[in-house]
This record gives sequence, structure tokens and C-alpha cells, in this order.
Amino acid sequence: MRAPRPANAIGPLLALGLLLTACGPASATSTAAQGLEAGPDGWHGQPVGAEQSVPTGAFTTTEGRTVELADAFLDTPTLLFFGYTNCPDICPVHLAAIASAMETAGVSYDELDVVFVSVDPDRDTPSRIEAFLDNFDPRMHGLHADREVVTGALGQLELSGPVVEGEDPRGDGDLIGHPAQVIGFDADGDIRRVWPFGARRSDWVSDLPRIVEEWS
Amino acid sequence: MNVAWWCSSTPGQVWTWRYTPFLGVWVVAATFIGGYVAAHRRAGRPLERGRTRRWVLGVLSLVLVSEWPIGQLGVGYLATVGIARYVIYTFVAAPLLLSGLPDWLVERWFPAGSRRSNALRAVTRWPVALLVFNAVLFGTHLPITIDTLKVTQLGSFGVDVLHLGAALIWWWPAMQRIPAENAIQEPLRAFYLFASSVLMFVPAAFLTFSPLPLYGLYELAPPLWLGFDPLADQQAAGIIMNVVGGFVLWGIIAALFLRWAGEREAEDEATRRTRDAATLRRMTALESDQVETEDPGHATTT
Repeated sequence: MRAPRPANAIGPLLALGLLLTACGPASATSTAAQGLEAGPDGWHGQPVGAEQSVPTGAFTTTEGRTVELADAFLDTPTLLFFGYTNCPDICPVHLAAIASAMETAGVSYDELDVVFVSVDPDRDTPSRIEAFLDNFDPRMHGLHADREVVTGALGQLELSGPVVEGEDPRGDGDLIGHPAQVIGFDADGDIRRVWPFGARRSDWVSDLPRIVEEWS
Repeated sequence: MNVAWWCSSTPGQVWTWRYTPFLGVWVVAATFIGGYVAAHRRAGRPLERGRTRRWVLGVLSLVLVSEWPIGQLGVGYLATVGIARYVIYTFVAAPLLLSGLPDWLVERWFPAGSRRSNALRAVTRWPVALLVFNAVLFGTHLPITIDTLKVTQLGSFGVDVLHLGAALIWWWPAMQRIPAENAIQEPLRAFYLFASSVLMFVPAAFLTFSPLPLYGLYELAPPLWLGFDPLADQQAAGIIMNVVGGFVLWGIIAALFLRWAGEREAEDEATRRTRDAATLRRMTALESDQVETEDPGHATTT
């Protein structure tokens, strides 16, 4: 068998070398694009082992009213999410998915409260939160409070944050680290399931009617 | 500056307008143009202006949609741009590259009787080409394919190679002029292109009418702007595929068919003229014979 001439081998070797380096970097929010796998019970949201309730704390709504978080959303199942309006990835993806799935699944905001709590109180004024939520659905509730109150609420759920993670690559101030999951509470205010980042609309379309039916 | 081999989706990575060169794109472009020029030099043939222009334009269109930003946006952020990339690969780059190839270069790269040539002839037979093109079209637009392959540079590169390869195979019988090289003529060519356009409506319809985003990759990608809806993006992608698969391809079919009909009409006209001229000659000759019979003293010759 004839050995390949060195000149002929350069091209394939170069191509091989380049292909071997072809492993894309992944970021902290990387996730499988296939969505959440349904559990044996058919839920896509993951069950929570601990017994927890809606955290306490005084928050300001986008209308300027002061409410007690634990009381404000009782009697209706609630999806609670901690995020911030400058968030470039997790927050808009989660909120867009929920808003769209509510419409597709025919679930109304009277049957299920969707609550967004800002973890970036310095930048997120109530009016800014309202404008942010208008991009998804104005019927979502936006809440604002001092950092200590937000940290306390997260602590009650055994969640960490908020922490400054560094500069936003878009040059839009700092990135704030916050829990990436949406937390589901039943009408009694007890925690039931969480949906980590990676939940797709199809996951929500499957779970939302069950939330209304089984948690009300 | 970030440098990568080929555009791929990096889940969770926020889009920025920071240039990321894709080295592989430039390597491929240099190989295409360098190989073309070198083949001409080796054969001692001059570069034909028109063909070279088409070859270079084909390569440039590949570079345009594979390099940053279009390559990155299409693979990681917007289904619309992803489908537009496919459309450019299939309907712009592939026909330009094929029309830039002189026959002697095809013979040189695929010598008659060689395995390469036999393989080329086998895959460019129109039923096979139609099958290959549509298998790639359907297979590479399945959600599992997109969500699995486009998250790595190697997978994304492989999908792009498949798109270009299938498009070259598909255009081959329609653009070839030599019947022995699997060329097809009207009306078969019109049927061939029409069948492809109809089949293209199937994935396009899935994209346009699905009530949910099909591709997790685009659905979970950090949005380029607030209020951006991945479902609207997907519907727009379906419309692009529909418009190109439908109207543009039908436009090409109509143009080719009208040209063929025009040629046929011109041939018929020429045949009719020849026949009329012959008939006229025969009638004149008959008339002359008659005059000669009636008045032999005044006979004239024509």
C-alpha cells in the first residue's frame, strides 16, 4: 500500500485537529433542549421533599400597594419566580413560556397566580417591573422589596442569592445570580413542585391544567 | 476575541454583537476557491470569467450564512435565520457552485469509469436525487436532530455539509445538459422540481402551524430582545420555507417550462416553415407543369 505523501496528509490532519477542538463551551445556564422529562406520575415539574410554605415578607406591588406575600396569594395556586428585569436569559425564557402555555392550555390568571419577585431592588422599581411583565402578560404580579426582605424570603425557601455574578456581556450593568426554578404552591400556600430552567412550553401545557385541577 | 471552528448553539450564552470568527468557514472557502484555481492551472486551462464569477459567488454565499453573525444567529438563536441559512445553501450556493463547474473539471474530478464517477451517477439519477434531498430535508429538520446536533460545532458542521451535499445532488439532474450525465429535460424536469416543492411544504407546514415551539434549542435560547416569542419566530421560519419552496421554486419551474415551451414552439415553427416552403415549391412545380401542358409554346422555367 502506498503511504500518503506529507503534503496530502496536511489537509486531513488540519481538518481533524480543528474538528477535535469542536466542543462548544457551555455556560452556567446550559441545559438539555429536550425539556423536562415527565415523572412516573406524568408531572414535568419536580416534586419537593421539604415541607415549605409561601415565604413571609412585606412587598410592594406594581400598583404601589404593600402586601404580605404569604397572605396575598392564598386560595389560588401560585407560581413564584425570583428574577430581575435586566436578566438576559432565564427570566424572560421562563416568563414567556408560562405566558404562552397559559394561553395554549386555556388556564386563566383567575385560576392561577403568576408572581415575579425582583432580586435586584436597586434597579427594579415597581414601574420598571410592570413594564417588564407587560412584555409577557400584564396579568402577572410583580413585587418589589428591599434586598433584606428578598434575601429573607429566599432563605425561608432554603434558596441562596441574590449575588452579583459579574458584568453583563451586553454592557447592561451587573448580572445577578438568582434561583433558576419556578416554584409552585397550592391554594393553601404549601410548596408542591419546582420547574427548573429547561422547562419548555410543552411541559407547562401538560402541567398547568393539573395545577389548577389538583392544587385549588 | 473568541475564536471557534464552526457556528454552534451554546445553550444559555447571551447574544452579544462581539465578533466571533469561525475558522472552519474560512478554511472551507479557501479550499473551494484554491482548489478551483489550482485545478485550472494543473489542466493548463484559463479561468472562464462567467463560470469563475458564479463559483466565487457560490462560495461567498456560503461564507455569508456560515460566518458570524448570520451563522451564529441561525444555529443558536433564531429559527427564522436558521431556515434562511438552509434556503441560501440549497437555492443559492448549490446552483451557483454547480453552474460554475466546467464539464472538463467534472470529468477530471470524476474520471469516467472510476468509483467516484459511478457513485456520482448513482446518486444523481433523478429519483435517487429526489429521495436523498428530501431525506436530508426531513431528517435534518426533526427536533431531535436540531436539538442534538446543533449544540456541538462538529454536529452543526455535519448538518451544513449534509445540506450543501444534498442540494448539489438535487440540482445536478436539473442543471445538467448531457443526458448521459443524468440530465433531465422538460416536462420531467418541471415535475421533478414541482415534486420537491410540494414535499417541502410538509416541514414548512409543521413549522408554521405547530401550536408549540418544536425546537428546544431556539425556545430556550436567551432572547435577542424582550417580548420576543419563539413561536412567532418558528412561524416566520415556516413561511420562509413555504415562500421559497413554493413561490420561488414555482417561479423557476415556470421560467424553465416557458423557455422549453418557447424552444419547442420555435422548433415547430421552423419545421412548419420548411414544410410550407417545400409545399410551395411542389405547387409551383405543378403549376408550371400544367401551363406547359396547356400551352407548350409559352412554357417558362422557374
